[in-house]
Amino acid sequence: MDHRRYMSLLKLDEAELRARMSACELGPEDLERLQRLRPFAEKHTAEVVNAFYELLLSHPQMRKFFPDEATVRRVKRTQSDYFLGLFEGRVDLAYVEDRLRVGAMHERIGLAPKWYLAAYRKYLDLLHTLLYAEYPPAEARAFFGSIKKIVFFDMAIAIDTYIAANLETIQRHQVALRELSTPVIRVHDRVLLLPLVGAIDSVRAHQIMDTVLVRVVEEKAKCIILDIAGVAVVDTKVADNLVKTTASVRLLGAQTILTGISAQVARTIVQLGVDISIMHTRSRLQEGIELALEMVGKTIAPKNGASEGARP
Amino acid sequence: MTGVIPILRMGDVLLTTVHVELRDAIAEAFQTDVLSAIEKSRATGLIIDISGLDMVDSYVARILAETGRMARLMGTEAVLCGMRPEVSATLVRMGFPMGTVQTALDLDEGLALLRSKNGLTRIE
Amino acid sequence: MNITTRERREMPVQSEDDVILVRRAVKALAEQTGFDTFASAALTTAASELTRNIWVHAKGGVAIIEAVENGERMGVRVTFRDEGPGIADVPRVLAGGYSTARSMGLGLSGSKRLVDDFALQSTVGTGTTVEIVKWKSY
Repeated sequence: MDHRRYMSLLKLDEAELRARMSACELGPEDLERLQRLRPFAEKHTAEVVNAFYELLLSHPQMRKFFPDEATVRRVKRTQSDYFLGLFEGRVDLAYVEDRLRVGAMHERIGLAPKWYLAAYRKYLDLLHTLLYAEYPPAEARAFFGSIKKIVFFDMAIAIDTYIAANLETIQRHQVALRELSTPVIRVHDRVLLLPLVGAIDSVRAHQIMDTVLVRVVEEKAKCIILDIAGVAVVDTKVADNLVKTTASVRLLGAQTILTGISAQVARTIVQLGVDISIMHTRSRLQEGIELALEMVGKTIAPKNGASEGARP
Repeated sequence: MTGVIPILRMGDVLLTTVHVELRDAIAEAFQTDVLSAIEKSRATGLIIDISGLDMVDSYVARILAETGRMARLMGTEAVLCGMRPEVSATLVRMGFPMGTVQTALDLDEGLALLRSKNGLTRIE
Repeated sequence: MNITTRERREMPVQSEDDVILVRRAVKALAEQTGFDTFASAALTTAASELTRNIWVHAKGGVAIIEAVENGERMGVRVTFRDEGPGIADVPRVLAGGYSTARSMGLGLSGSKRLVDDFALQSTVGTGTTVEIVKWKSY
């Protein structure tokens, strides 16, 4: 997922930016202080970045992210830019987009949040030591205070990026699951079949109807067979949805054939008072397919020996 | 013709495509134009193509169903074609009774339906 | 339930043009929120019904369109407010059987079926407020 998508998923507009800055109590005085610290930061960039990677590389699990020297060099350069970015003295949507780009890259290569947070801790640790070595305590404390604010601001964005990425994955899985649970099959030209299996709750019923309608138009179907032999329970809601689906399919100019109706289900439907007069129903799928083929002007006929060839 | 929705004649069939939102004035002009076209041409079939409509509320649905019924009273078979899946789903879920208006997937299917119904329908 | 508003837009409903504008604005917000075509069509149609009600039966009012969220869930809320005659027998109208205002009843009961949350408050002689919410499903 690219950083622009994260911007929209995290709803990062001016208002959100201000809310996040205010949450970290990150204000103009802090930004001004950070900007004043820039020469100090530039002086210590290499030292800080090296110490940071020493920490990472000391853990065997981290080594896979840095397979060779070239990678390490490249990553250190990116980190230096990142580090110096903290001292630019401006936090706007462009700054956030930049941070997201880095976060998106980390997420893509599978760098877990725990390393992210370990990295930030190391930064703060190093900067604390360096600041108190170079500045009088009061000033050092003020500088460190502002650094902490912007680091926490960045951390919040990094963590939200992870959460957003996971949410996207869950969504993608749910879409895939939905498609798997509504497998519309083309059994013949303009004849579709949807075998329904398992439990059908109202959410699934809704999705089934939507999928059926889209497929009918896509395939220019003249009829669709809904086989419910595998449906666990056919109650009012399910029966009602079957009726609605049939009505909508008709509005698209096609027919619905309901098959797989057991004696129990037939009793349920009639007792529920559901009006099934507009529906074609057959107890077995085979009969449904035969009816469907009839509707498109076809028939299944036996082959009469090799010399005759196939019937139309 | 008084309204903005054109009505074409193809032999014994009138074809009209609703390509704009049916607001009051346009809807009334549409109905008037269709009925007067049927009168003049003595068409045996009418196809209303609504593939361009991404939303049909109860008002629009009523206009369409009414127009179909009025056409039938004048001896003309009416077919509604090209309804979008989401429009169909919404009408049914809303509970709007679309009655027995004939429907077809698209223009070709609509013409085929009229041909099969009227036998001798001439379509040029 | 803790619903917060992300975006809010108030639109007058004084003419048929306004009905069309409200409809388009709702559709745009639905798409922006990421609703699929079915959910978008359902919400837009419900909004169209309720806005028309204002224009036809109350001779004017206002539609407030909001992008809302409830925790991680995102949705669209539309509130229709008018100072029209009000509805005397709300349950009967919602059941779709109110004969003298049949089209309004159909619009109200139909819209209710197209959205997730539906609230109606009406006082005869003062006016009516209808609030609908549709949540994005994943």
